[in-house]
Amino acid sequence: MENENIGEQDTSTIDTTKPEPSEPDDFTPRYLDPTQLTFTRSEVGTARLEIRDEVCHLRVVVRQLMPLSNPAEYISIAADEDTEVGILVNPSELASESLKIVQEELDKRYFTPTIQKIYRVKEHFGIHEWEVETERGRVTFSVRGLNQNIKQVPPARLFVTDVRGNRYDIPDYRKLDAQSYQQIQRHL
Amino acid sequence: MATAETPTGTLDTLPDSLEETLQNLKTPIEHIRFAVQSDISSSGSYGEEWFILTEAAIFTVTGEGEVLHYIPYESVLGIRAEVVVDAGLLVLETEEGTVDLIRYSNGCAAKFGFVARFIGDEIEFRKGKRDETPIWDYKSEDHSCKSCGLLLPDEFSPCPACTKKHKVMLRILSYIKPYRGRAILFTLFIIAGTLISLVPPYFPRILIDDILRLNELANAAPEASETQLGALFRGIQPVAIALSVAVGTLLSIQLIQTIFLVFQGRLAAWLTFRIAANIRSHVYKHLHNLSIRFFDKRTTGTVISHITEDSERLQDFMLEGLTFLAVQVFLFFGIGGMLFWMNWKLACLILIPIPILVFGAGWFWKKVRSLWHRAWRRRSKLFDVVNDSVSGIRVVRAFGQQRGEVNRFGAANIDARDYETHAELIWATYYPPLMFAIQLGTLIIWYAGGLDVLAGSMSLGTLISFNSYLTMFYQPLRYVSPLINWASRSMTAAERLFEVIDSQPEQLDDGSLKAMPNISGEVKFHNMTFGYDSHKPVLRDINLHVQPGEMIGLVGHSGAGKSTLINLICRFYTPDSGQLEIDGEDIKQIDLNDLRQQIGVVLQDPYLFSGTIAENIAYAHPDASMEDVIAAAKAANAHEFIVKFPDGYDTEVGERGGSLSGGERQRISIARAILHNPRILILDEATSSVDVETEKKIQQAIDRLVQNRTTFAIAHRLSTLRNADRLFVIEKGKGVECGSHEELMAQQGIYYKLVETQREAANVRAAAQAVER
Repeated sequence: MENENIGEQDTSTIDTTKPEPSEPDDFTPRYLDPTQLTFTRSEVGTARLEIRDEVCHLRVVVRQLMPLSNPAEYISIAADEDTEVGILVNPSELASESLKIVQEELDKRYFTPTIQKIYRVKEHFGIHEWEVETERGRVTFSVRGLNQNIKQVPPARLFVTDVRGNRYDIPDYRKLDAQSYQQIQRHL
Repeated sequence: MATAETPTGTLDTLPDSLEETLQNLKTPIEHIRFAVQSDISSSGSYGEEWFILTEAAIFTVTGEGEVLHYIPYESVLGIRAEVVVDAGLLVLETEEGTVDLIRYSNGCAAKFGFVARFIGDEIEFRKGKRDETPIWDYKSEDHSCKSCGLLLPDEFSPCPACTKKHKVMLRILSYIKPYRGRAILFTLFIIAGTLISLVPPYFPRILIDDILRLNELANAAPEASETQLGALFRGIQPVAIALSVAVGTLLSIQLIQTIFLVFQGRLAAWLTFRIAANIRSHVYKHLHNLSIRFFDKRTTGTVISHITEDSERLQDFMLEGLTFLAVQVFLFFGIGGMLFWMNWKLACLILIPIPILVFGAGWFWKKVRSLWHRAWRRRSKLFDVVNDSVSGIRVVRAFGQQRGEVNRFGAANIDARDYETHAELIWATYYPPLMFAIQLGTLIIWYAGGLDVLAGSMSLGTLISFNSYLTMFYQPLRYVSPLINWASRSMTAAERLFEVIDSQPEQLDDGSLKAMPNISGEVKFHNMTFGYDSHKPVLRDINLHVQPGEMIGLVGHSGAGKSTLINLICRFYTPDSGQLEIDGEDIKQIDLNDLRQQIGVVLQDPYLFSGTIAENIAYAHPDASMEDVIAAAKAANAHEFIVKFPDGYDTEVGERGGSLSGGERQRISIARAILHNPRILILDEATSSVDVETEKKIQQAIDRLVQNRTTFAIAHRLSTLRNADRLFVIEKGKGVECGSHEELMAQQGIYYKLVETQREAANVRAAAQAVER
């Protein structure tokens, strides 16, 4: 054994290590150069990606690597559900047409509406009915058991889940207008 | 075109106006088979959009009738409901390419999931890949109350709107029934106690007016005694005796009051704990009859808190709150009446501070409560930090992160400190003024009553008595708000408890259940589909026929659905569509007790209950003889290590005795399964967490166990499945290959690849070991 420090425990773990799943040979993440990328819409409406002098993917899937803390940057681009093409660190460096398509695709994948204004939260029989304004329009939804269905991400971000499984985001409840703040404060 | 019949159970109904618009289009949309409404428009904002399937094509239209997509049905190659973040997307594969057809929120996911499944099946049928037309078996996933239509979280929950608050109270009281006599006695004690407590404050009046000031009054104008009781004492001569009689009476009244309090308290304790224990055992008993789905939807913590915290909260309230509430209500009205009777003008004055008191106290308690709650949350977060880093102490040390952990604790600690300080500061600031407000009433009386005494329209004794009552009168008002809160929280706790009791049990015996005490172990899946959420099928169209005594190895990547298949055989869940039959009988119709008596499970990480090894082996048959236990242990290769323990078969295991190794626990669980003697045996990763030597022993034990039983075995190490008669390969929820090891190797399909991968890995490992040596 070349390293004296490896104890008994370590050798036994080597014995039972599960076989590594077969991975592509390249373990280094690929960062895409925004100047080489062109996103277009196909006739049927899917997002197509052309990497200059390389390849064209017919329907790419875009994903945010940090959808909560940094949704605007670090976008993973995949040729289908499983195969990642590469990571785009800063999509704002794309040409405006391409950027628009990336943003449309992100909007399609990340629906989570952001609550901008709370009109009222009314409780009856343990179900809280919320009427709110989001960037996707005004909506009314029901939340059962506020304790379990409002998740707080420190310091002041809230995720509200309604009875049908929809999730709503309040990025910072302290920054809501006074009326909305009051509505939510009562129930925190 | 070969399509199934137009479904009868419609999903959504097109509004008449929209249907008319569609018929009046240049190319009208007609012969609609079904239409589904989405709640998101293609632009991503909330809005109405429709998915329509006609005999010939798929359309999507806006709420105004504008056609967004038109796709001929023949050109559709595939369809899927894609789950995106907090929404869904219906995607079509067509000859022209992939089309993102329509978006919908999670609220519509169930129906679109069903649509995708139905159309997908129909397309496969058309292509000839499926021999049956799909069945229209749409069930709405919205569970709403049958009487009021309120949306419920799952099919098990009772409707909160239809279980009224006063009903909850009545139900709690219904638990009192067996102890009726004592409950009545208790109520009597409370009433009598309250009445008695009204007497002592009256005595200053007699003492002062009729006894102490007698001489003084005799000299002055002979003021007639205001009360008969007073006259009684006045008649006693000399005064000193009257005084001692009066004090003696007061003493005995207070003694009686104390005795009443003792009995009242004892009765309350006796009653409360019995009622709480009865509710608790009722809930617990019911819990064991509930479907596993009930537990899926709730975390273990919530379920445990149902039984412990909620019942404790209810019990506390019944013991202290309810008594307190009853006494205070009696007192409030008793004293109020007394005050008005003594001097109604003064009594009107004391009402002045009441609004301030009630609202002030209400505001105060609300504020303090929310602050305390927040402080409490910070504190529990602090404990979480401690718990987290102490549980992971090895990792913390190994990565040298002590300082980071200390800082994390420090931050949480300061946070908790600040919130707690804030709460206490508010308390310290506002409580004294609140008390001051209460004193105000007394001051008003001293002043207004004092004027009356000076004017001679009221005696001094009356004023002093009046003031003593006043203090008692204000007392309950101070606690109105917290008491109401307390009461409503306990009612909520009670509701949650009753929610468990009212939830549907796993199987209702309506008389149609088949008793099957002796099954032979034939298991048959026919076009079976299942998903934990029915719009996300985990298993699709499973077909498998297992003969009694056959051993089936379930093979597939993790997440393929192997464990789900096993959960279905145990009938923790029931198939969404298709059949699962045991001995030719639909599993839903088999008496669960009979079924589970004959199913044995050996899991990867076996759960041993606290108790001795012997008790754990005999878990399914507590009356098994010691010979049976030893025979099972011997067959499981467990006897050899059990005898070496100082306490032998009496060794404590479970939480208290975690000293057993993984392999030892595994062999005990195998012994448990052997003694259980099931017809159907399930081995879920039984040998994956042990070393090679132990694995051999366990494998031997398993080989003995599987004899003559229908066995389903899951194993990642394919070599452990070498004894299986057939292997069933699951890939993404579908059964893709089935046959013996040799047959599947010859097919060179998925199983072949898996075996090859493992062989390579084994070679690499062997090579690595060789290098090390």
